[in-house]
Amino acid sequence: MPIARFVERILHLIPVLAGVSVIVFLMISLTPGDPVEIMLGDQRATPEQVASMRRDMGLDRPAVERYFVFVTNAIRGDFGQSFFHRRPVSAVISERLPATIELTVAAMLIAIGLAIPLGVLAAVRRDTILDRIATVGSLFGVSLPGFWFGILLILFFAVQLQILPVAGRLGYAMEVPAVTGFALVDSLIAGRMDSFWEVLRHLALPAFTLGLPSAAILMRVTRSAMIEVLRADYITFAEAKGLSRARIIGLHALKNALIPAVSVAALETGTLLGGNMVVETVFGWPGLGRLVVESIFARNYPLVQAAVLLYAVTYVALNFAADLLYTVLNPRVRL
Amino acid sequence: MRTKFLRALVGAVMLGTAGAQAAEIRIGFTQDALTLDPGNHRSRETETIIRQMYDGLFTRNSRMEVVPELIDTWRQVDPVTYEFTIHRGVRFHSGDELTAEDIKFTFDRLTQTNAMDGQTSPRQSLLGPLRAVEVIGPYAVRFILREPWPILTAMLPFQEVVSRRFVERVGTAGMATQANGTGAFRLVEWRRGDSLILERFNDYFGGARSIPPVGPANVDRVIIRVIPENAARVAALLSGSVEIINELPASAIRQVEANPNTRVARVNGTRTFFIAFNNDRAPFNDPRVRRAMNHAIDRNLIIQRILADAAVPLNGVMSPDAFAFNRDLPEFTFDQALARRLLAEAGHANGFEAVIDTQSAYREISEAIASMLNRVGLRIRVQVWEGSVLTPIWQNAERRRERDMFFTSWGNGALDPSDIMVPTLRTGGRGNSAGFSNAEVDQLLDAAETEVDVNKRRDMYMRAQAIVNREAPWLFLWLPQDLYGVSRRLQGWEPNADSRINLQRATMR
Repeated sequence: MPIARFVERILHLIPVLAGVSVIVFLMISLTPGDPVEIMLGDQRATPEQVASMRRDMGLDRPAVERYFVFVTNAIRGDFGQSFFHRRPVSAVISERLPATIELTVAAMLIAIGLAIPLGVLAAVRRDTILDRIATVGSLFGVSLPGFWFGILLILFFAVQLQILPVAGRLGYAMEVPAVTGFALVDSLIAGRMDSFWEVLRHLALPAFTLGLPSAAILMRVTRSAMIEVLRADYITFAEAKGLSRARIIGLHALKNALIPAVSVAALETGTLLGGNMVVETVFGWPGLGRLVVESIFARNYPLVQAAVLLYAVTYVALNFAADLLYTVLNPRVRL
Repeated sequence: MRTKFLRALVGAVMLGTAGAQAAEIRIGFTQDALTLDPGNHRSRETETIIRQMYDGLFTRNSRMEVVPELIDTWRQVDPVTYEFTIHRGVRFHSGDELTAEDIKFTFDRLTQTNAMDGQTSPRQSLLGPLRAVEVIGPYAVRFILREPWPILTAMLPFQEVVSRRFVERVGTAGMATQANGTGAFRLVEWRRGDSLILERFNDYFGGARSIPPVGPANVDRVIIRVIPENAARVAALLSGSVEIINELPASAIRQVEANPNTRVARVNGTRTFFIAFNNDRAPFNDPRVRRAMNHAIDRNLIIQRILADAAVPLNGVMSPDAFAFNRDLPEFTFDQALARRLLAEAGHANGFEAVIDTQSAYREISEAIASMLNRVGLRIRVQVWEGSVLTPIWQNAERRRERDMFFTSWGNGALDPSDIMVPTLRTGGRGNSAGFSNAEVDQLLDAAETEVDVNKRRDMYMRAQAIVNREAPWLFLWLPQDLYGVSRRLQGWEPNADSRINLQRATMR
């Protein structure tokens, strides 16, 4: 891909981020609720003390000024202080982000690992009992609410069988020196297979809960794309040439059938990154989703703004990555 | 140090020895600490966590009486001056000895504007009129107030003492993630959003002298695991993954009681629930109407059926555990005939229409109350709002003019009338949603604010409560209990009303 194209795509990010920042700021400004009042709760406070807190949070300035301060600081990588943690937002977010990415990647691996083979199988064995089971199963996958399904998994695997932990990311007796922040990677770097295994055990239930709905969606997309491709002339031609069924499906059909699946997988990854607060809450997973939800309730504006911008960047980047993958899967597609 | 500790811990866990298991207590806790800096938050959960590592000048015993903790002796010199002497030989986790300089530094940091690296502590308002702290000896300080403030000692358990040397070394930024207190447990590791690992501080000075046994903690480790979801927290307790869970949902009481290894522990909370009548507006400007409605609801039935028996009915504002609680208040018995009679006397024999403003979490309860009120001929309905929209409406006299009733609550962590009656019942108070205004109550509350004679002060609040009971500015409801799920292996621990989980004296069987 020419560098110019790449730069152009990066430049597209600017209006997107500007738009997102305005929308987020407007929504926050229009949302009722005052962080100072929330922080004070039922305690007595003099008007001077309330004013001093408001000044510390920068809320004594007009909204327009606050927006420009936010934008100019954000360009320099300074997203301000979290009202409630009283630390830089970037520090608070960067502590939580690796856990969310790790969970999302694990969930997507589970989703892809289940969806692609099942989708292909359902398409190839169309209208058989296998196809029906896969289709009905995917309906369940999409329909099961995460908070309910997650609790069921906890009750079965953690309370009944006691083979998996209820919550958290790592047993407290384990220590992995943080290098990347990704517990699995850090375990490997440290050569600690015991903690790698421990992290996997903690990751299993939340990743499965999070990945299942995506698996269901991906499976349906793969199935329908595969059915479409299998009807194509070139497949009939390949069959006429006498190529083996496995070769036709695995090499010729799947590659084309994957194009819509890649696009959906990219969007799903973005959704999982931004929308896994339910699963993070159920499993006590120390990720960003939970933090953002808590921050919305507490009107922790700086953190919410920064997190939403991060989500926007991630979404755009993932779409870009999907576009790049298109070109690999189908050389006729140009960026 | 940390690595060594964790390796030992791994070894112990892998060996699975009974001794290793018996030496730790794991808590399933709803929230992580926002910060580890005792001076830089306004969160009760954060305080519960920080209190494992830090001590206060005062604390509370299981009867919720304020007792000295770091303080050895104290006296009130005059209405605005207190002198405190701290115990000698108290060590911070760093090994430094606690001195009067640390006390002064702690309270200056909390009360002086911009004292925390350019920012003001959000806890400043918790120290009311504290003007200055003077060092009068290596172990003695003098607290000087701008005006008399009888609840000073009741408010001091909320503030933890930090080390001047440590804060000057790590700064406010460092205090957010590091801890160096004088408490029974020291920080090993804080895994943000996930867990806190603490170990026993062997040089602990022993804690409050009036709460035996005095000495270092019995257990080796405390692990606080963040599990926000109710069902997952209960599952963690039932599976034996934790020994204590906070905020046990009422729906799980039976499940926890049915398990042979777990039990439910309960303690009266500090939050008073009530429905504020709009006292400025007809028909709620008539005390007979307000009293009638207080007789029309069956509090005990709601507590029993909806709150799983986890609340105490109230006929007034104060918790039964609070200072100056008036035990002689006339009870608002459930008496529908009396309610109808009072309504008829007030000219509302045919009832009237009104709306209870509530939030989604209290919808069920509000509807139960509305249906009880409707049984005596009223036409009450419930409107559900988002909390952050509703509260400002009711805090503003102009904006609440068209509203009728407000299902709300007010916390009283100090368990002192000053902390709840003044904001909610004094004319113009920050939480006086009812718009209640009674000259006699105002005068009693004002006088009690500066009265240093405990008995006189108690008497004033008792009288104020009697007037409030008679005037019934609220539909009095209840005080919920705090519920905990506890492993039967855990001994020597019972919950406290102030939400502290004090594990210094706890042991594992």
